[in-house]
Amino acid sequence: MSVDPPPDSSVEPGGAGFWIGAVIGIGIMVFGVMGLLDAAPATQPHQVAFGLLGLDVLHDALVAPLACGVGLILTRLLPRSVRAPVRAGLFASAVVIVVGWAALRSYGRANVPDNHTVDPLNYGTAVLTVLAIVWVAAALWAAVSWLRARPVRATSTQSPLP
Amino acid sequence: MTRLPDLSERRPFREGTFTSRLHDERTAAVLGIALGVSFSICFATGIYSHLAQHPASWFELPARPAGLYRFTQGLHVATGIASIPLLLAKLWVIYPKLFRWPPFTNVANVIERLALFPLIAGGLFMLGSGLANINLWYPWQFSFPVTHYWVAWITIGALVVHVGAKRITTFRALRPRADRVADATEGEEVVDESAALTDRRGFLAGVFATSGLLTLVTVGQTFKPLAPLALLSPRRSDVGPQGFPVNRTARTAGVLESARSPEYRLVVDGRVARPLTLSLDDLRAMAQHSAELPIACVEGWSSSQRWTGVPLVDLLQRAGAHRDAEVRVHSLQQRRSYRTSDVNTTQAHDRDTLLALRVGGEELSIDHGYPLRLIAPNRPGVMQTKWVTRLEVR
Repeated sequence: MSVDPPPDSSVEPGGAGFWIGAVIGIGIMVFGVMGLLDAAPATQPHQVAFGLLGLDVLHDALVAPLACGVGLILTRLLPRSVRAPVRAGLFASAVVIVVGWAALRSYGRANVPDNHTVDPLNYGTAVLTVLAIVWVAAALWAAVSWLRARPVRATSTQSPLP
Repeated sequence: MTRLPDLSERRPFREGTFTSRLHDERTAAVLGIALGVSFSICFATGIYSHLAQHPASWFELPARPAGLYRFTQGLHVATGIASIPLLLAKLWVIYPKLFRWPPFTNVANVIERLALFPLIAGGLFMLGSGLANINLWYPWQFSFPVTHYWVAWITIGALVVHVGAKRITTFRALRPRADRVADATEGEEVVDESAALTDRRGFLAGVFATSGLLTLVTVGQTFKPLAPLALLSPRRSDVGPQGFPVNRTARTAGVLESARSPEYRLVVDGRVARPLTLSLDDLRAMAQHSAELPIACVEGWSSSQRWTGVPLVDLLQRAGAHRDAEVRVHSLQQRRSYRTSDVNTTQAHDRDTLLALRVGGEELSIDHGYPLRLIAPNRPGVMQTKWVTRLEVR
């Protein structure tokens, strides 16, 4: 099902409020850039610049198109009533894996192998447990949405009393 | 002058390429406000931590409330984690704007759109590097605290530009539908049918529920009532020697021998009338004081413990220090950062600022700083110096 996109109702920037924000904001950014450069080599400015650019490109060229593609597939495969819970379940699962990734891979423990207070849990089980919670919640949500969206069938009426 | 090619009829620049109703101003506005609040909290609490570790001439870290640092850094990390789904969702909602053609229409537009790069890249960098840091994972060469601090300024500056540019759009998008219809210019469409409303509510519910879930499964590393739910915390506040975590072990610090040496002495010198050299038995023989104090790490975990030892102020009095004395605390640790920490006048004269010998009724374990560690109210964990060997009065 295709849906017309909403019109872009954003207001073009301008006016005193914009320029005040721009002057203050650019001033703060310049302060940050100067500080970053002054603190070199601790801040490794080239590596930071590469990291910033890389994260932006990674998101715009990979993550966002992937999310749009998955969204499109969901739109084509699923009835409208269950799209939101399935989308939420997929989104939450992806974010849970991202947040749990370093612990799952024991990167911290590998960095400080003699510190047994780092990554003390079985994170494979932990991540699976959280994903199970996510999908139980998504399934319940989907069931409620689907039941609510069902067309109401005409029920047989009782004969009128004599 | 070279003119830009007209891409407005080509995908993905062509209008209608992105068909989801969720790429709308109202969804973007709701997420934008949530992110504005969460980034502001992260920035303020981060600046507080920076000032606590690098005091400015105009700021003296107070001793009370004792749990202030614990609260602010727990909030810093929890808010940062909760922001991850908010940021990813917001970026998806506004993604079609990346392909607006022409990209700029006037000077203000150029500034607003160029500021999006440091805002988006900075936001991703801050959340990504912070997430790695709480896991003690450093897949880079730069110093985390210094770089995280300066990129925070760049990101918050870009946020200020963005707020200035988007305040009217956000305000308009968040008004009730009736107001938007009443104010719509002739021919302007106000999209808010019930289906779109349901879609948006469902989408936002999923995003905010994900934020809430992440908070629930991580915040227990500092908020004890939720400790049993802390499945994704890289630390557990109740796991470690004597029941709480350590950040740097005695082996890593290279103090295994020096901390256990019978030759161990505490030296109190500097701006004092009577320099002192005290053995462990001397310290044990002094009047002991106990206090319940949190140890709170910048990585977001914390644990409250009952510490027992000699009040710093008693040692200062015994050495004949001035009433305005500040103290630099030295560790046996010979290399790496945080070998010393400074205690300001207010904290040095707080009765609960201890040179602790015991925790939870037991002698300190070596990973918690045996034979002697500093523990004071409202201080970053990295400044609760372990394996203390010298108090340099200043």
